[in-house]
Amino acid sequence: MSVDPLTANNLTFRYGDRDVLAGVDLRVGEGEVAVLLGPNGAGKSTLLKIFSGLLHPHAGEANVLGLAPSAYGRREMARILSVVGQDPPLDFPMSVEEYVMLGRFPHHGFFGQATAGDRQEVDRALSMTSLHELRARGLGELSAGERQRAAVARAIAQGARVMLLDEPTAFLDIYHRVAFFEIVTRLAGTFGVTALIASHDLSLCAEYGERIVLVAGGKVQAAGRPEEVITEEHILAAFGVRVVCDRNPATGTVRVTPVRREAGNTIRPGEREDR
Amino acid sequence: MRGRVLVFPLLAAAFAGAVALSLSVGPVPVSFAQLFRALAGGGADGVPGGETAAKVVLTLRLPRALLGGLVGGALSSSGVAFQALLRNPLADPYILGVSGGAAVGAMTASLLLPGDPFLPLPLCAFLGAALAASAVFLLARRRSGISRERLILMGVIVGAFLNALIMMMVALAPPGRIPGAVYWLMGDLSLGTPGRVGLLAPYVAVGAALLVLLSRGMDLLLLGDEAAFQSGLPVERVKTAVYLTASLLAGSVVAVSGLIGFVGLIVPHGARSIVGSGHRRLLPAAFLLGATFLIGADVLARIAGPSGELPVGAVTALSGAPFFLYLLRRNGGKP
Repeated sequence: MSVDPLTANNLTFRYGDRDVLAGVDLRVGEGEVAVLLGPNGAGKSTLLKIFSGLLHPHAGEANVLGLAPSAYGRREMARILSVVGQDPPLDFPMSVEEYVMLGRFPHHGFFGQATAGDRQEVDRALSMTSLHELRARGLGELSAGERQRAAVARAIAQGARVMLLDEPTAFLDIYHRVAFFEIVTRLAGTFGVTALIASHDLSLCAEYGERIVLVAGGKVQAAGRPEEVITEEHILAAFGVRVVCDRNPATGTVRVTPVRREAGNTIRPGEREDR
Repeated sequence: MRGRVLVFPLLAAAFAGAVALSLSVGPVPVSFAQLFRALAGGGADGVPGGETAAKVVLTLRLPRALLGGLVGGALSSSGVAFQALLRNPLADPYILGVSGGAAVGAMTASLLLPGDPFLPLPLCAFLGAALAASAVFLLARRRSGISRERLILMGVIVGAFLNALIMMMVALAPPGRIPGAVYWLMGDLSLGTPGRVGLLAPYVAVGAALLVLLSRGMDLLLLGDEAAFQSGLPVERVKTAVYLTASLLAGSVVAVSGLIGFVGLIVPHGARSIVGSGHRRLLPAAFLLGATFLIGADVLARIAGPSGELPVGAVTALSGAPFFLYLLRRNGGKP
């Protein structure tokens, strides 16, 4: 039995005197695709930043492969864990290939030349994200969806066992959202990569997520399989929105549809728990 | 990529051309035949007027051309480094007030230190440069980060303050204590003696080499601090190293040749359009292009003045200030 890639115990974090995380417990197993759901300001990004070592918890602990992020050297950490951020760079002055090659930094460091192995990894990342034909293009010439894929490709090239993704599909249309989740699922299935994705895409998370963690009010409100977590009661409590949860007729997974206000939605100012 | 292989030989050829031009242009005309003979150490024999030509070339013009090359290369490398550090295409040691800090450091040293303060001058200038750079960063820093406009504003303010200090020092210094101060402040390569070239060369060599070693770190810095950190870069350490090295380059250069503006701004942009933004290629390209540019500007300064030469800083500022305006207008709206 190996150590779980990501664990959090009683994790607490404050911005000023506002508790963003107030005792979060979390566990993501090897090769699992887990999704963090929760309203804006629920602390999803904060949680990911603690795991990547950018922020330090005020109490409790967050571990990557059993150790606190600060226990690793920077490059050692980057070989274990990669991050796809919220906003892919708009005017990054390099070609797609050069940009993806930056993901190899933890492997070749400051002085090493890019080896044949490095180039192979970049090739693999480019073909997994269907960016092969665009490799010589400047990042600024890409569409939002292509830029997002480039960011994922850079994380893939990093060759880490654990991937954190912070609202990676926020600016994408449905085709690219589906394509994105397909890539992550394939990484997990084929290479045993563990992924923790912060997202607002309820139905897609239900379709692709193996494990859903619902965060609101600084605490984990529910965690488990999609059909256990994504329920009408949970969504109403966490987001303050009435939804209908039924089954996708094609796949049988949970499908979430919001209910319009006139039709009985109970949204009220102040009911939501964020801020 | 088009012409990838040929870029560096071409840049080197342009550099060699600029040096040859610089050696042959001046009050004493030197033909290319005389030039080759002089450089080959052949001296006078066989070429008419060769003896004078050889003397002029070897003792006056060659040190001056080499100094121009070192200064132009160092200022351009420093500009590349500051632009990567601040993710700001408008950064340049002159605009950020770093050169002004170096000038204050160098002048303080020559006023206060006993004897010939020539040797510690570059170090004191480096200290001044580093202090000025940190003052500008700290003043421009907000919780949300450093905005492009705020940084330039603070650079201008700190630069103005340092200029005031410089003028005070020039006005109050005992006569003869800072020889040629006024010309030096306008950027001057005429002080190029073999001794000064020899003094500056190690600083520039060390600084430029350090930046090349840091080049991959600078690539990652372009991603932004958070993404660079998550990609495995020890961000704070790399930033400190880049900032100190860029200050060392700018500071030591100012100590020898005074305030030459805008080279660190124009040349990196030109180099980027030739070799792209990867720092492994950008740094050497900017160094060569900067050396070529400043030697060329110096040739222009020497022949353009109706009675004697212009300060080279005036020539670079004449071309640099409009270019800065262009960049500001093009990028000003964006954060």
